[in-house]
Amino acid sequence: MDDSKRKFINICLGGVAALAATAIAAVTYPLFRYYLVPPTDKKSGGKTSIPLNEIALGDAKFFEFNGVAAVLVRKQDGTLAALSAVCPHLGCIVQWEKDRQDFLCPCHAGYFTADGAVISGPPPRALAKIPYSLANGVVTIG
Amino acid sequence: MEFLRNIYNWIDVRLGTHEIITEKRTGYLLPRNVNAWYSLGSVLLVIFCLQIITGMLLMLYYVPDIDKAFDSVSFIMTEIPLGRLVRLFHAVGSSMMLLVLLLHMFSILFMGSYKSPRELHWLTGFFLLLLAMGISLTGYLLPWNQLSFWATTVATDCASSIPFIGENLVELLRGGKQVGLHTLGRFYTLHVGLLPALIAVLIGVHLFLIQRTGVSTPPFGLEDTSNQWKGESFVYEEHPGGIPFFPNFFLQDMISISLYLACFMVFVFFFPNIFIPSTSYVPANPLVTPSHIKPEWYFLANYQTLKLFPSEIIGLTVQAIAMAFLALLPFIDRGEEKHPLKRPLFTFCAVSGILLWIGMTVWGLYS
Repeated sequence: MDDSKRKFINICLGGVAALAATAIAAVTYPLFRYYLVPPTDKKSGGKTSIPLNEIALGDAKFFEFNGVAAVLVRKQDGTLAALSAVCPHLGCIVQWEKDRQDFLCPCHAGYFTADGAVISGPPPRALAKIPYSLANGVVTIG
Repeated sequence: MEFLRNIYNWIDVRLGTHEIITEKRTGYLLPRNVNAWYSLGSVLLVIFCLQIITGMLLMLYYVPDIDKAFDSVSFIMTEIPLGRLVRLFHAVGSSMMLLVLLLHMFSILFMGSYKSPRELHWLTGFFLLLLAMGISLTGYLLPWNQLSFWATTVATDCASSIPFIGENLVELLRGGKQVGLHTLGRFYTLHVGLLPALIAVLIGVHLFLIQRTGVSTPPFGLEDTSNQWKGESFVYEEHPGGIPFFPNFFLQDMISISLYLACFMVFVFFFPNIFIPSTSYVPANPLVTPSHIKPEWYFLANYQTLKLFPSEIIGLTVQAIAMAFLALLPFIDRGEEKHPLKRPLFTFCAVSGILLWIGMTVWGLYS
């Protein structure tokens, strides 16, 4: 085969390869988006209401808030704290220890105060605080 | 018999099957000092086939929906004839697959069979180990019980400590902030579709590499135990005067497979609860993490390492370095010697590494 034919075939093959690469790139992004964003999980900014009389003094109530577990604590002194119940170490859900008035993460024994501050164990930071308001005996979280 | 012989002849004249059997099986010679450890690859092939068969049987009744998954598994276990056995075969089989994979890897390690020109054999084997761990992890979530739910939560949350992209990566894995419906869909797709296909392809590549380079010579019982390949050109490692694969080593394969099946049946029939503990019988509850949650045994060392380090990113980095070292071992260890007793530093490090891994696993179990 002479050089000009070889060159022509190489150019054609290069063009086909470029087209194939473009086609792959063109479908990769839509496929990635399809995989990335499930539409049902895009609900955020919602509010949750909990009547205060549902929680005894020194007790806590767990609920789902914006797709993740959260907890409302009514401390012994009557003050409230709304926190994410997800341990910042590995994502386990903390447990309320009523007798000790603190939170325990059952996965790696991390302890938190009733306000979410780390007492001991591997958690790298406090439990995230969630804003709340109290009106007419109903706590509105979010 | 005449009928079967005619069928065989019909195929033979078209495909030359007799030639394949003569050249590739009876004429396929293995080193005279080949040992039983070489049959672990065949055992792994049998396990993989068993996992595929039992997995397909489970798919007949399993429903990948968070409201139905747990009940469908309970239905298989309690209502379907032999359903309990099929599920136990699959669940126990996944653990046994990893155990045999590790044994296969250790034998390659001590016999120096990963050395050049077999770096690619080792790498494909290493990726098969990762894929086997991946397929076990994704399958673990499917029964949607407390253990599977929280073990998956902890495992996927590890990715969050990766700087900058951690949080996004966790959402990508889970399909949401928490393990939920989309996680189950993703893991199910990976478990029954993508990962088995990748494993099958990689097994094919692994076998092709072995066929292409020839079987390595074990270093035991020889005077010269150095690596014979000098890196100058491609050489098929022949074993003149060696033993035929069929029927000699085929018999060894059958013995090893039978021994494996005997051990496997002991676990399935007498100790199934080792692999399916009591928390597996409680449906998943996203608001309550059970106490003393533990991942499967093959992740216990990783779990304990994460507990030891005050920072998650340090724990993950240490594990990533260890895994990278293991993957790149044939490129790091360029020594010619293959016999474990003639390379004491390597053997000491390898034994220490294995003991450390076993120690961390036991510590993780009882901590």
